[in-house]
Amino acid sequence: MGRSTKVSGASVPKQATRQRQNLGSYVYGIVPAGTKVPADVQGLGDPAGKVKLIEHEDIAALVSDVNVDQPLGRPGDFLAHEGLLDAMADKGPVLPFRFGGVLASTEAVVEELLAPHHDDFKSALDQLQGYAEFVVKGRYAEQTVLAEILAESPEAQGLREAIRGKPEDATRNERIRLGEIITASVEAKRAMDTQMLLDGLTGHYMQASLRDPTHEWDAVHVALLSERDDQKGLEKAMKEFGERWTGRVDLRLLGPMAPYDFVLAQG
Amino acid sequence: MGGHGPTGLADVIDTILDRGLVIDAYVRVSLVGIEILTIDTRVVIASVDTYLRFAEAANRLDMAKSEKGLPEVISEAKGVPSQDKTKEVIQGVVEAAGDTLQELTGKKSDPAAEASMEEEPEVSVERTSGPPRRKIRPKREEE
Repeated sequence: MGRSTKVSGASVPKQATRQRQNLGSYVYGIVPAGTKVPADVQGLGDPAGKVKLIEHEDIAALVSDVNVDQPLGRPGDFLAHEGLLDAMADKGPVLPFRFGGVLASTEAVVEELLAPHHDDFKSALDQLQGYAEFVVKGRYAEQTVLAEILAESPEAQGLREAIRGKPEDATRNERIRLGEIITASVEAKRAMDTQMLLDGLTGHYMQASLRDPTHEWDAVHVALLSERDDQKGLEKAMKEFGERWTGRVDLRLLGPMAPYDFVLAQG
Repeated sequence: MGGHGPTGLADVIDTILDRGLVIDAYVRVSLVGIEILTIDTRVVIASVDTYLRFAEAANRLDMAKSEKGLPEVISEAKGVPSQDKTKEVIQGVVEAAGDTLQELTGKKSDPAAEASMEEEPEVSVERTSGPPRRKIRPKREEE
């Protein structure tokens, strides 16, 4: 616990015994002890660190050595982080950490992370047993939804006619108003369609967590915690939505993934 | 029917920069400050610029193409899709899920993802001396 001897690795003078690398332990996540790490996965960093399991009683941390003098955040680093966690999530429970957590040593991983929080991590892993995260992303087809909005709003239709063939400068106010109506309508549709999808997928998820839109034409962006064994059922239900929304919403299902949206930091 | 948005890196960044357990909440003493290359991601905020763009899109919307008029367009959109389209969508969904899996579990880095990364306008370097700071928001426009 409160040992104060260890100092941030980056500011510690390089140890003479180490070649020229200043190594830290990059932590990906927590899994049950005894979990197998696939032989072909590589850690992040350059050169890629070897992923290993540091066990303490019933739990273990997924870590790899990383050179702390080198910045992290190349595309390969992001992909390695999520790739490892999602590969683990496909097999069993895993508590994913956010990108970028590095501890000074493997001893610190045990003494400061695993030992003091053993029971919390263990019970979280138990609760996640059998579940994985899936993310549903939907993007509106711009033309279709614009046509819908114009059909539904006489005001929008009137504004569209008012700006037709007129220069932009002369119709700025009308354009802004029209744009406002479209923005508000997209937001309303997004809320409605997201709810409709969640209703339609009932029985295929235990929890849902709404994500903020990442694009102005986003129709749906939601994370689901679902039984791993029900992946087929979830995919089938998604297909039905895909059919219903053909030409209107482009739907994607991502997963199984580690439950990023369903783990809560303490404190 | 619109194509699929970019899969892979954008989705990954959406997920791992802003979600998951925060290690700082558990460990304080031996946290190592490491330089993290962050991506200044754009939040979706409607502005006058957005409004003008939307208005122009509505202005250009070719309703004449299907001069059956609006009601037709709508019923087509909401109604029963044609056989072929359905198939396309089904495959789309399945492929997307498959792609992601393969992408995330398989390759460590793929050239397409690297390329799309390079298109990102702003990559900034943040020197963090304490625990890695994360005011990074992963919300971003993907196109």
